Amino acid sequence: MGEKEVSKQFLEAFEFQGIKRREFLKFCGATAALLGLSELYIPKIAAAIEKAAKRPPVVWLNFASDSGCTEALIKATYPNAADLVLDILSIDYNETIMAAAGKQSEEIREKSRKAGGYILIVEGGVPTKKGHGMIAGKEMLDILKEMAAPAVAIIAVGSCATFGGVPAAKPNPSQIIGVTEALKKAGVKKAVVNLDLCPVNVEYLVGVVVNYLLLGKLPELDSFGRPKMFYGQTIHDNCERRAHFDAGRFVERFGSNEEALGYCLYKMGCKGPMTYSACPKVQYNDRVSWCIKAGAPCIGCAEHDWPDKFAGFYNRLPDVKLPGIQATADKIGAVAGVATAVGIAAHAIASSGRAKKAGGEK
Amino acid sequence: MANELKYEWSLAYRVEHWVRVIAIAVLVFTGFYIHWPFITGGAEGAVMSWMRFFHSVAAYALVLGLIVRVYMALNSTFDRDWKDFSITKNLKDLPDMLAYYLFVNDTHKDYRKYNPLQALAYLFIAALIIFTTLTGAALYKGNAFGFINAAESFRWVNTMLGGESYTRIWHFLSMWVFLIFVGVHVYMSLLQAAVNKDKTFMSIFTGYKLKKTS
Ligand code: HEM
Ligand code: SF4
Ligand code: SF4
Repeated sequence: MGEKEVSKQFLEAFEFQGIKRREFLKFCGATAALLGLSELYIPKIAAAIEKAAKRPPVVWLNFASDSGCTEALIKATYPNAADLVLDILSIDYNETIMAAAGKQSEEIREKSRKAGGYILIVEGGVPTKKGHGMIAGKEMLDILKEMAAPAVAIIAVGSCATFGGVPAAKPNPSQIIGVTEALKKAGVKKAVVNLDLCPVNVEYLVGVVVNYLLLGKLPELDSFGRPKMFYGQTIHDNCERRAHFDAGRFVERFGSNEEALGYCLYKMGCKGPMTYSACPKVQYNDRVSWCIKAGAPCIGCAEHDWPDKFAGFYNRLPDVKLPGIQATADKIGAVAGVATAVGIAAHAIASSGRAKKAGGEK
Repeated sequence: MANELKYEWSLAYRVEHWVRVIAIAVLVFTGFYIHWPFITGGAEGAVMSWMRFFHSVAAYALVLGLIVRVYMALNSTFDRDWKDFSITKNLKDLPDMLAYYLFVNDTHKDYRKYNPLQALAYLFIAALIIFTTLTGAALYKGNAFGFINAAESFRWVNTMLGGESYTRIWHFLSMWVFLIFVGVHVYMSLLQAAVNKDKTFMSIFTGYKLKKTS
């Protein structure tokens, strides 16, 4: 089967699903924009995806999570679920959405593993406490270990898979960790692309995969293993409410006039200034909206150590926890300040007493 | 026992001191604002922009001031005073000074320029400036001095403190330490001026202080 033939079949498949070539190119255009490539790349992207009618096989593992990333994936508009599953990637194994179940699905996974050469996408954190996370009688950590070795690339999607996320929040009874850490623990040396967000933005995932199809390599990563092209700037840098921040116009209370005017959410606990992600540019659901546009402060879900090391959703800073004390930084500062003032006053009174005494002795 | 005026602070020392005072005042005010914006900008305002701008300008002043002060300690033509900051020597003398301040003794030994409590406090302030600068730099998203990518270069500070939220808390708490220092420092200099009648408080304006000759 020549490449032309494959392409034709591929396009027919598109037609078959009632998806027009135009739509396909629109998707390629959206992807090009996402990757920061000029329009000249659209045909190249189209070609790369069509060529991949040998479609890179994908194994998608579900570990400790609420399957929100799978949910995001199947609700995506560009590419829609049908394109993605049937045409762009060959998602050979995904427990949540595949038809097979039980023994049959284990066989599929085993077949993929033997064949190798797949892109391994992991959703969910990895429980490391024995018996706390098992599929078909196997520890998730062991499944990850055996599936990681034959993979050509590993992509951790969503904050659970990257660094543990919500399932790993204190007290973390199942001792859940992210994929990077789990692989280190299992002794597998392999780069992991961390697409940290809750849930993953499917456009990021498609961007990384298309980038891989185009260039045959993974994108440049930052120190947390996140692609620099998506995690190079803070939310705050590109936020549409930034003008209000700079001007000093803030929402003080939900339900207020300031909120209706779309003022900055800094005082409502926005973590935008400390969160790196391209959410304001890429947005969600075909660029319909995103957290801050929808009126909610950014909660920092794209960050390492989220949510434990972040304040409550509507607080600017977390509380300070000292043995026996839990207080806001403001309170600690104020108490220390007052204590100092009292100390100075006491010392001044005592000093004047000493001066009087010295005067009396003379 | 006669007293005579001694030229204690050259112009350079006094300028450096007052640059620091202004810088800290600006940093505390703008820092409080960044922490919890208490002035609301109007339709055309740029309150937060200005606060952040002056916070950075004052931060540069504070850091450069410290560098200048260290240089003067090592190489001033007026008073090369780095030896006064010896930690071991000052720690040894510290009990004497504490006994005086805590009303155990009514007198204390004579010290050259700084008493041990002073010398240690100023060393501590130098360390505090470094700490605040490091945490501040880790919060900075621009290019320090125009070419150092602050967020990248100082990310290790965030890692060490447990994430940027905690860097912010440490940075904020270090502001309180500055405030407390300023309070105690001003009190101590007023106290010494009142008790010893040696013009200590005015000396940082005029440069002259009364010293015992004997
Ligand atoms: C000396 C070098 C300093 C640097 C480089 C620095 C830098 C910064 C930066 C970049 C921020 C974040 C601003 C933003 O989010 O836009 C900040 C916040 C702040 N700074 Fe500084 N600063 C310095 C010194 C100080 C000092 C001396 C004080 C107080 C005495 C201070 C008090 C504060 C406070 C209270 C905040 C708000 C923190 C928060 O609640 O998030 N800073 N500083
Ligand atoms: S809403 Fe958040 S991200 Fe947007 S400008 Fe305000 S603080 Fe920054
Ligand atoms: S804006 Fe903030 S909370 Fe919303 S998805 Fe992006 S990083 Fe997460």
